[in-house]
Amino acid sequence: MRRRLMAIIRKEFIHIFRDWRTLLIIILMPILMIVLYGYAITLDMRNIVFGVIDDARTPDSRALVDAFAENGFFRTLPRDVRRNEMESLFMRRDVHMVLVIPEDFSADLTQNRSAVVQLIIDASDSNVGTFVGNYAEQVLGIYNQRMNHAVPALFEIAPRIFYNPDMNSTNFFVPGLVALILMLISALLTSIAITREKETGTMEQILVSPVHAREIVLGKVLPYVLLGLVNAALILLSAWILFDVPVRGSLALLGLLSLVYVFVALSFGLMISTVARTQLIAMFGTLMATILPTIMLSGFIFPIASMPELLRWIANVLPATYFLIIIRAIMLKGVGIAELWPQALILSGIGTLLLTAATRRFRMRLE
Amino acid sequence: MQRILYLVQKEFRQIFRDRSMIAALFFVPFIQLVILGNAITTDVTNLDLIVTDLDRTPMSRTFIERFTTTEYFNLVEVEEDYQALRGHLDNGRAKLAIVIPKHFQRDIVTGRHPDVQALVDGIDGNSAGVALGYMARIAEQHQAQIIRMDPMLGRPLREARIVHAEPRYWFNPELESEVYIIPGIVALILLIITVFLTSMGIVREKEIGTLEQLLVTPIRSMQLILGKVIPFSILGFVEIVVAMGFIYVIFGIGVEGSLWLLFGESAIFILTTLGVGIFISTISETQQQALFVGWFFMIFAILLSGFFIPIANMPDVIQYLTYFNPLRYFMVILREIYLKGTPLHYLLPETLAMAGFGVAVFSAAVMRYRRIIK
Repeated sequence: MRRRLMAIIRKEFIHIFRDWRTLLIIILMPILMIVLYGYAITLDMRNIVFGVIDDARTPDSRALVDAFAENGFFRTLPRDVRRNEMESLFMRRDVHMVLVIPEDFSADLTQNRSAVVQLIIDASDSNVGTFVGNYAEQVLGIYNQRMNHAVPALFEIAPRIFYNPDMNSTNFFVPGLVALILMLISALLTSIAITREKETGTMEQILVSPVHAREIVLGKVLPYVLLGLVNAALILLSAWILFDVPVRGSLALLGLLSLVYVFVALSFGLMISTVARTQLIAMFGTLMATILPTIMLSGFIFPIASMPELLRWIANVLPATYFLIIIRAIMLKGVGIAELWPQALILSGIGTLLLTAATRRFRMRLE
Repeated sequence: MQRILYLVQKEFRQIFRDRSMIAALFFVPFIQLVILGNAITTDVTNLDLIVTDLDRTPMSRTFIERFTTTEYFNLVEVEEDYQALRGHLDNGRAKLAIVIPKHFQRDIVTGRHPDVQALVDGIDGNSAGVALGYMARIAEQHQAQIIRMDPMLGRPLREARIVHAEPRYWFNPELESEVYIIPGIVALILLIITVFLTSMGIVREKEIGTLEQLLVTPIRSMQLILGKVIPFSILGFVEIVVAMGFIYVIFGIGVEGSLWLLFGESAIFILTTLGVGIFISTISETQQQALFVGWFFMIFAILLSGFFIPIANMPDVIQYLTYFNPLRYFMVILREIYLKGTPLHYLLPETLAMAGFGVAVFSAAVMRYRRIIK
């Protein structure tokens, strides 16, 4: 058994190294991805351009406009906006928001102790719209505080931020990227491992040889586990060098659990490989099943707790969901297996299940 | 002409021979459309919260109640032990813990301005920031209530002058993310399907050796290319029409602007993706290589398109890179036509850029392809 397994592994390695173009992509892509994605993914909005319709023209109203302009988020459109051109301003995407200050703004403030301003926000991107609205509220809060600094509140909330005190989004995204990239690459690698043999006709040759189904499946997975681990190391290293994301917990534990995760992703690819008839189908299937769900449902960007219930169920069967918790916890919280054993256990469970299913399915095909 | 028709027929037969191909082309993308259309929202709700109440007075209890009655927070547990809170953040049971200090009520009444401590898991900076905002708002409401019950306490507060905001969200008043995301997913599906079908369809002939058979027939190279390009563009169009109908039926989202403009723009975009597909096929020997190169292209095209990360948020260098991304233009165009009904003259820069890119890529790819098969 040992010798036959080794033979398959060696053959698979020859396949991998013969196709140097693919190998180059597999090695280079993760690094490029982490560089570009690491720099590009940020939810911090800057340079929100806003126009002003100031019907009051009082010191109070000018102070309000200044409060927006001097804040890091907003930039004023350098001219006044007329009411009838608002729509075309939004269509040309020249402004994100128009601040409308009513004529009796200052009078209201002195007489009624409160005044209302209108914020007209381009919400065609609902997320950007929400952000702009939130930022505007923050600016108003600062403005109100400044006007009323002599009046203290009854009690205050004193926040203490843990793990990522500056709330830096790089620290949030980079560990997530490791999880994403490992999933995508590993699953794609094995997804065509068996289909290719079927399509080019070499599968029949393997079948007439004395190799068992289990040996074929294992022999197909193990070489890629090694490749996946090399990938994981490269990604972590570039994350650490380029983005200064700390690894506060145990590196050994991170390595071990990454191994488990890579094994899960590879088994998933292999599972698809046993089902699909052609390479094209296998790849389509893998792409569809990995890219979008992993980016959107695993908690990589969008918090799972905020999703509708059905999506939370789907999120709970994605391996990336668990690995994201693990890798963020080890890197940023510095916790160990005492806190993470449930996730580690679930991951191993999913992996075993997938590999067993793949072997079963493959054996069924043979008979 | 006759020959091209035969080739087109052959291509369609090849695609639809495999049942699972039909599933991959139509069924799977649409399921994703439904599922993912609901997923993308940076709204923060259901934040797991743990509370420690060291005061246990009516004032502290009503304060906690304010947290449990909103959808923003999800009270996991009331923890007696202040020391244990950190552990709950460590193992991820809660993202947020609130500690109400001893003598909270007494300190408020005597005007000593007590502090309520909030321990926040800051890893997801966006959620943490939003959570802090919610907390500030709840504290404000609570304060207003205390003052209503005992106006004497709030006397200095009544001197305050407060400006309130009245936000109006144009083009999408309910702030539904589907309306924005779904047209984007249409663009993604179109991109994925046309690029992969073209590149792998062509390489496949190379890999299994049928290309040589075609080359010894009297078919000319231009006919060979058209025989690939025509069926895949038809397929791309069918895909987009079906997707639009589907979106209208399931989500009730229709096209605000001109349908013809949308089709015209799609045609330009398909020209680009077919060009990319052919180009990939000329630099790949096997389907695996074509897949990886295509995937490589796509991962970056999606990221740098503004699909889920607004381009304006990115650093300048990366913003310049996005100008080389055809998907960036199509994403803007599709969304503008879908949501705002923006007419062509506001979209001219994007259209021209996309068309220029499309013609360049397509002709370069075709030229390369002809050279290779000669």
